[in-house]
Amino acid sequence: MNPPSRHGPGGTPPPLPAHLAAPPPSETVFEVGGLSVFYGGHEAVRDVNMNIGARQITAMIGPSGCGKSTVLRCFNRMNDLLPDARVVGKVRYHNEDLYSREVDPIEVRRRIGMVFQKPNPFPKSVYDNIAYGPRVGGFRGNLDDLVEETLTHAALWDEVKDKLRTSALALSGGQQQRLCIARTIAVEPEVILMDEPCSSLDPIATAKIEDLMERLAQQFTIVVVTHNMQQAARVSERTAFFGSEIDRDGVRHGRLIELDETGTLFSNPSDHRTEDYISGRFG
Amino acid sequence: MIPTAVTSDPPGVPRLAGRGTPLRERFFRLGLRASLAVGVLFLAGLLTYVVVEGWPRLDAKLWTNFPDIIDPSRAGARSAITGTVWVISLTALYCLPTGVLTAVYLEEYADRDRWWNRAIEINIQNLAAVPSIVYGILGLGVISRGLGFGQTVLTASLTLSLLVLPIVIISSREAIRAVPQSIRQASLSLGATRWQTIRRQVLPAAVPGMATGSILALSRAIGEAAPLLLLGGLTFITFNPTGVHSQFTVLPIQIFNWISQSRAEFTALASAAIVVLLVILLLMNSLAIWLRNHFTHRW
Repeated sequence: MNPPSRHGPGGTPPPLPAHLAAPPPSETVFEVGGLSVFYGGHEAVRDVNMNIGARQITAMIGPSGCGKSTVLRCFNRMNDLLPDARVVGKVRYHNEDLYSREVDPIEVRRRIGMVFQKPNPFPKSVYDNIAYGPRVGGFRGNLDDLVEETLTHAALWDEVKDKLRTSALALSGGQQQRLCIARTIAVEPEVILMDEPCSSLDPIATAKIEDLMERLAQQFTIVVVTHNMQQAARVSERTAFFGSEIDRDGVRHGRLIELDETGTLFSNPSDHRTEDYISGRFG
Repeated sequence: MIPTAVTSDPPGVPRLAGRGTPLRERFFRLGLRASLAVGVLFLAGLLTYVVVEGWPRLDAKLWTNFPDIIDPSRAGARSAITGTVWVISLTALYCLPTGVLTAVYLEEYADRDRWWNRAIEINIQNLAAVPSIVYGILGLGVISRGLGFGQTVLTASLTLSLLVLPIVIISSREAIRAVPQSIRQASLSLGATRWQTIRRQVLPAAVPGMATGSILALSRAIGEAAPLLLLGGLTFITFNPTGVHSQFTVLPIQIFNWISQSRAEFTALASAAIVVLLVILLLMNSLAIWLRNHFTHRW
């Protein structure tokens, strides 16, 4: 009853629209409207409106605690895992409301993968790390081929081809993070979300990840949260600057201050807060 | 020129010489070693005593012969040893799956803000502290008489399962909690379901910790006499259990029986049986420590 499929045996047909029919490059993947996220009674980020385009890198920058990661985690419903998180507003993925009742978060996460701040490979072999996503998704093809293809795609094959059966935890930090990226693309998502992927890596490992991101952006839509402004300037087409505001009631909350082409945002920002932040003047 | 105050030190004395270890610290270390010595010496004394006492009867007959009330020289602990194996195996069979699944529920599914989940948690903590004799009363009243299972292997293993279940649950929960959240997030972000995440990532990573805790719980059960005595004073059994509905005895009860006999030969038998029980316990605990040291993940 299950035809060979990369997305596996799910009882119901995937609720998200087919997006694989070669959309034009200017296509919008995410449309965010009036998005606010609450943790318990605390409003982490308020009224975010932004679009994210297909097959390009969008960077989200800004000081700590202004809601960048929170917004990122709305894109694949990772906030669902926090029991007291509440999402208000619209996040539309190819025109479908990600938070509608019929949407299955499991299916969402197969289309929208995530790479985390600290490399978090499974305590298993390199091979099993790559094969995990396809396996849980019910992949029926040749896993060996898939693993080799994926690792080649992630520019990691030459480094690990002799270590496929050794523990992923024995790799260096940078290799572990590239393995996590490879693991994510093994399930062939459309979008890869990255939450400060280089913050625990040295400059050489960071450069390798940035190279990889640029190559993957030809095929995948990438949204990256970073504290490293040079990184945003180097790799991204568009940059969103988040800051925190204090409203009339004295409540501090995160806001999207400005979103523009990366070149414009860094050279000619339209908001003075953006300019203050990127030039190192705060407040 | 920089003025230097230290140049006035007499030559030959290193400038970095300290004042030595303070007296208070020396006393403190002495106290630490003394407390350690108390435990070790007591254990060593106990072991020496039972080995010396039981040495004449640490022979093959202890393993091959059944208890004999007339002739202590022919008496053995065979029915108690096989009884112990039966009861502990069944205890493990009942309490390990129940305990592990309860721990998975409490750690992975239960909403901690709900009052009933908090009530369950508090109850489990309390149950771990209930004296074992109380479980004996429960076994006697509910399992033996209420359910009508009688003085059987089944009743004993169910009673001991209840006794150690809280320990299994608590140690399994700790093992599950030790699996970092980042592993769960990684699994879920790849499109795994909650159950796939638990089954394929959390449980395998938690197994060494759960095994360690479970073995320690079972080694507590293996030494328990009180709840089983209450089940009906099954102290003189001269046959191996033949099934779960069979009558039985176990090592702690057999030891209790021999100790209470007046003849010195029986006391020697009791010491020999204690040595057997201690060796089993030490082996189980060593296995637990070995599992913990060799298979626990370091994240």
